[in-house]
Amino acid sequence: MERLNLSKLIFALLSLILLCGCWDIKAINERSLPLVMGISKKNDEKYQVTLTLPVTRVKGKTRIITEKGESVSEVLGQLRSNVEDAIDYSQIRLILIDAPLAANHLEWRKMFHYLMSSKDIPSIALVAITDENIEQMFSKMSKQGLSGTALYDFFNKGAGWAPDVSNTRIWEVYQNLFSYTNDIAVPVVHSSEDTILKFKGSAVLKNGKVTANISPSENQLVRLFQHHHFIRNTENLGFATIFVVNSHLKNKPSITNHIPQVASDLFIKISILERDEGVSNSLVIDELEKRIEKRFNDMFKQTQINKTDIFGFGQLFRTRIPYDDLHSWRDKYYPKLIVNFRVHATME
Amino acid sequence: MTQRLQLGFVFIIIHMSFGYLLYPKLTYSLTKSGHWGIVLSYGLLQLILIAIYKKGLNYFPQKDMIDIFLTMGRWAAFIFLVPYAINLNALIAMNIRAHAEDIISIFLIRTPYWAVLVLLFLISTYTAIKGLSTILRASAVFFFSINLFVIFVIASSSVNFQLQNALPAWPLSLDFLWNVKFLYLMGFSAILFLGFVPSETNLKFGQLTAAWLYVLFFYLSAVYVPLFIFGQETVTTFVFPMKEAADSVDLSWFVFNRQTLFFGISIIGFNLILNAVKLWMIGQIMQRLFPGRRSKASYWILAFSFISFLFALCVPNKAWIEKLSLMSEGTNVFFTVILPSIIFLYVVFSGRMRSYGET
Repeated sequence: MERLNLSKLIFALLSLILLCGCWDIKAINERSLPLVMGISKKNDEKYQVTLTLPVTRVKGKTRIITEKGESVSEVLGQLRSNVEDAIDYSQIRLILIDAPLAANHLEWRKMFHYLMSSKDIPSIALVAITDENIEQMFSKMSKQGLSGTALYDFFNKGAGWAPDVSNTRIWEVYQNLFSYTNDIAVPVVHSSEDTILKFKGSAVLKNGKVTANISPSENQLVRLFQHHHFIRNTENLGFATIFVVNSHLKNKPSITNHIPQVASDLFIKISILERDEGVSNSLVIDELEKRIEKRFNDMFKQTQINKTDIFGFGQLFRTRIPYDDLHSWRDKYYPKLIVNFRVHATME
Repeated sequence: MTQRLQLGFVFIIIHMSFGYLLYPKLTYSLTKSGHWGIVLSYGLLQLILIAIYKKGLNYFPQKDMIDIFLTMGRWAAFIFLVPYAINLNALIAMNIRAHAEDIISIFLIRTPYWAVLVLLFLISTYTAIKGLSTILRASAVFFFSINLFVIFVIASSSVNFQLQNALPAWPLSLDFLWNVKFLYLMGFSAILFLGFVPSETNLKFGQLTAAWLYVLFFYLSAVYVPLFIFGQETVTTFVFPMKEAADSVDLSWFVFNRQTLFFGISIIGFNLILNAVKLWMIGQIMQRLFPGRRSKASYWILAFSFISFLFALCVPNKAWIEKLSLMSEGTNVFFTVILPSIIFLYVVFSGRMRSYGET
């Protein structure tokens, strides 16, 4: 072997300075990872942010911290300096917003601009609205002895989530702030005595403005049109209870003389779980078809009054209306939209 | 043959590096519908430039671009190539700065940007000093591994696709061709790299076209993935649309819960190769134009990379990054058009066309 080159050796040793470790990464046991964040704004014009931090040393225990400030980003900064561990916001999975703040159109827009552009908070975090006092809600939950992930699991597809609950993410809300042709529903929840949360329905948002509240059964229709998710659920018709096994939606848009039309056909397969004596299949089918059609038509009329395209019909007309006119879809075209909604139910 | 394949890989990688960051944003600001029209007209114009360039280079089978300019005369080489080297330097600086910003927003939230710059510059300078043969050998590994990441990101993003968001599908007009931003878009091109390898061992025009089609397909996906997810109205509000698109996917079923990490790794990989190639080009130009006993390519590379590091360090924020990158891309357009045309015209007027045909 050749003589060791001294200058090379020194260079190699010097590079150890650069390889001494990560920059200013905090070790995992020194970090607090909040999973749920609550944001509210009371009359006193200050934002209040509440975090639930899982206490890693005691299994299943959470602690709740709250801080007030002029903006969400300011409060998150304050919390970071006040807590003894390094708070890492990158694992936040659910953001609960209280109803008065959600109703404030301008604050909502500002907040979601921040949440989307923030480097810390992931844009896949779920968003929900609640009528209750968030701090009390969190402390009630921690008294029930629920673990830190319980709130998130309520919305988690891999855990306890049910398909009639809508799950809306930060990026979807952000997209809705700008979209010309599509609106969204954000789930509204409140705490309950025995289960972690109760799903109350959804708030309908038009460019970040709450225009209506819808019930869970109406929310299913929204999910059906938005995501083409089939509604796998039970429905009670009074004299019978049925179970929707499978569904399939077909939309046919057309436009004549600036009046848009959609022929919408919903095909569902049902099975009857229980029924009163003497009730025939065709009676059940007739009643179910009528019921869903009525539910849709009532709701659709209401959204036309609100000029909120919660079903996303505008998406079907993006090619049929000139792009320069598309921004007036909600005001000019949507109130005139005719939807011919038919339900075709068959027995399994 | 293997060298040709590797050259093709490098050609694809350096163009893909451009596609990830600012290319989609420029495209969105150019039109509101039918984005493919822009990408394809960009592709066609670049292909014409490649054809002119290849035509010129082919008359000098054993020479590369610098030799050709030197045969025109030393003054010609000085006038055209020294400014080009400076432009390359600015491109490197802005490119690394933009990537540093993106990397910070993906993994290293609390790290100051100079630390990321140091790392990126060290690696690309080292690679450039090792020379083209090293870059070529590394290219195959990079090409396959990073392409897998890219395909993974595109495939997993497809869960959030809403195809209607990209409608209307037809371009409203061809006005974008006269928009100054389209000129900037043309600056996303590294075709001049082809001239640094003698055409005897270089890619043939047919092979180049195939590689270029691959690049175009990728550019289309880089433009359309964010568009399918967010729609035109929203996508114009982002600085790095592709990053936001990758961020919108919930990968809780996977080992890593953010696929943006894959995205980050891919852009680092592409970027290192792109900047190494550019630094190597600068080294070649300067060493050949200023021959001398002490003039070594590696010294020039070190000096220029230090200058562009300082330049990148002075850029304070995203707004400036965008502005200055566009300016450097704009100058790049000038060279991508001028240099191939000059070589071509030189061939025509010096009568080499005829003599080459006779021999």
